[in-house]
Amino acid sequence: MSTATSASAPHRNFSPARIWALATSTVTQLLRMKILVFLAVFSLIVVATGFAFPTMSPEQQLKLLKDVSLGALQLFSIVIAIAATALLLPRDLEDRTLYTILSKPVPRYEYLIGKLLGVILLLAGGLLVMDIIFSGVVWLKQNLIISSQIAALRAEQNDTPENIAAITAITSQYGLSWSLHAGVFSIFLKSAVIAALSLLISCFASSTLFTIVVSLGFTIAGHGQQLMRDWFLSSLSGFWEKSISLVLTLICPDLGLFDLVEAAIRGDIIPLNVLANVTGIALLYIIGYTAVAHLFFVDKEL
Amino acid sequence: MNRALRSPRLLGVLLFLMMGIVKLPLENHLSHSLRDQKLIPNPPALSLRDSLGQMGFAATLGGLRSLVASITYLQAYVAFERVEWGKVDSLMTLTTLLQPLEPSYWDEASWHMAYNAASNYLNDEKIRAALRQKLFRDHVQRGINILNEGLKFLPNHPRLLIKLGDIYNTESPARRSPDGRKAAEYYLAAHANGAQGFYERIAAYELAKFEDRPSQQQAYDILKRYYDQDTFNPTMRRLLPELEEKLQIPAIQRIDPQRPFSQPGRRTLRR
Repeated sequence: MSTATSASAPHRNFSPARIWALATSTVTQLLRMKILVFLAVFSLIVVATGFAFPTMSPEQQLKLLKDVSLGALQLFSIVIAIAATALLLPRDLEDRTLYTILSKPVPRYEYLIGKLLGVILLLAGGLLVMDIIFSGVVWLKQNLIISSQIAALRAEQNDTPENIAAITAITSQYGLSWSLHAGVFSIFLKSAVIAALSLLISCFASSTLFTIVVSLGFTIAGHGQQLMRDWFLSSLSGFWEKSISLVLTLICPDLGLFDLVEAAIRGDIIPLNVLANVTGIALLYIIGYTAVAHLFFVDKEL
Repeated sequence: MNRALRSPRLLGVLLFLMMGIVKLPLENHLSHSLRDQKLIPNPPALSLRDSLGQMGFAATLGGLRSLVASITYLQAYVAFERVEWGKVDSLMTLTTLLQPLEPSYWDEASWHMAYNAASNYLNDEKIRAALRQKLFRDHVQRGINILNEGLKFLPNHPRLLIKLGDIYNTESPARRSPDGRKAAEYYLAAHANGAQGFYERIAAYELAKFEDRPSQQQAYDILKRYYDQDTFNPTMRRLLPELEEKLQIPAIQRIDPQRPFSQPGRRTLRR
């Protein structure tokens, strides 16, 4: 009965269900490639940093823990975004999975969107797990520090409510806060943009290595985009400086926009409208790069 | 020709460039807005490239500026343990340049100079006495300069104002550069910008030491307010009657000398 229903159903040019099926199979494919070994390495770094440097001031201990953990998280997410995306198309070609999929009535853009969504899902899941581990260690460290500081105040007979409140406020500002999750979200946005860019490059690249190297180059240039834009817009810069910075400004995404991590580490509040703006620009990049990737992929001889 | 123009690849290149033109003003607007809100840092100064080396500079560009600052901070900590004050100063300067919006780095940089380096030079018997005094004063001044530099990036930040107050505080155990009036001024500014109440009380204790009537009146007004709010401690029990006497407060308005303390603590919170 159900077979008859599905057979009679008209074929749709755009099917979220097909894209979802492609995305989940991509996640499975990436998990089989043992890409989540990174998670274990990250956890080790966080736990080790959490209990290192006990002689430093409490806030510096917390700051260092957050600096190292968020730095590692950022590096890992960028590496996963580039490596996982660069491997997808060549692996599908090698396994001939690509021919099996495209021989069905699956448009090429659905294939690309499904693959990108798979990488983004993997990044989101990985970052969520890493955020939970990281938050747990920061929370534990923060409570240990507050307890030891209150004990020290008590020993000095200085444990007035005012002093305890002050010490708790100072330590909490450098401890776990909602801003930290906003910082992790900005890392996710950045890695999703890098994944979309890598997908675009892999659509015309001749090898996986080429995709990885060029994506890495774009990632580094994207982080220096504000510097280049300043040169381009500055009246003091010369012709060549202006020309080179203009080209790089046009072709590279401004990845510095997603560097909300520093504010998150300081414990500053990251307003929701800022997160919405940054999410909006990330979507612009992702949709734009995927559209360009499709134009390259649709013409590609497989 | 027409066929070439209809090529999806060419369309892709054109769309890519079009996207670049559209995104440029958006990126520029958003990055300036985020910089104004102090949520993202300004691009690193090119002068940092020499101090950090190519790798360090690339890492700061790659969104890892906070991590690089932590590394230079740790290097400064190692130099502090080795009592290399020049190195501590240059590495902490680098750290504050990398993260000028982080108050703890300004605080620690000034603390190393105004307290650790200054005291170390003062007690170093290998140096001639006259030179020791000079090095002590120079390093205290260096600590003050660091905090004033930090206040340019973080105007009226209570933490930096408190530290300036501490350096000028005559009650400081190491007797930095005693100037009670300046100490009171910075503590009051810190309190006005969100610091805890005890900094306002320390300012009042400092002002109470002066013989001029406006200072005494200001000290009295602050301490009486805390007394009325039932935040009463031994220092206030000693100072308030003295001020009442000097200011000739009518007997009916004077405090009750038998009133019990509401706060067990005697000392203020330090680092």
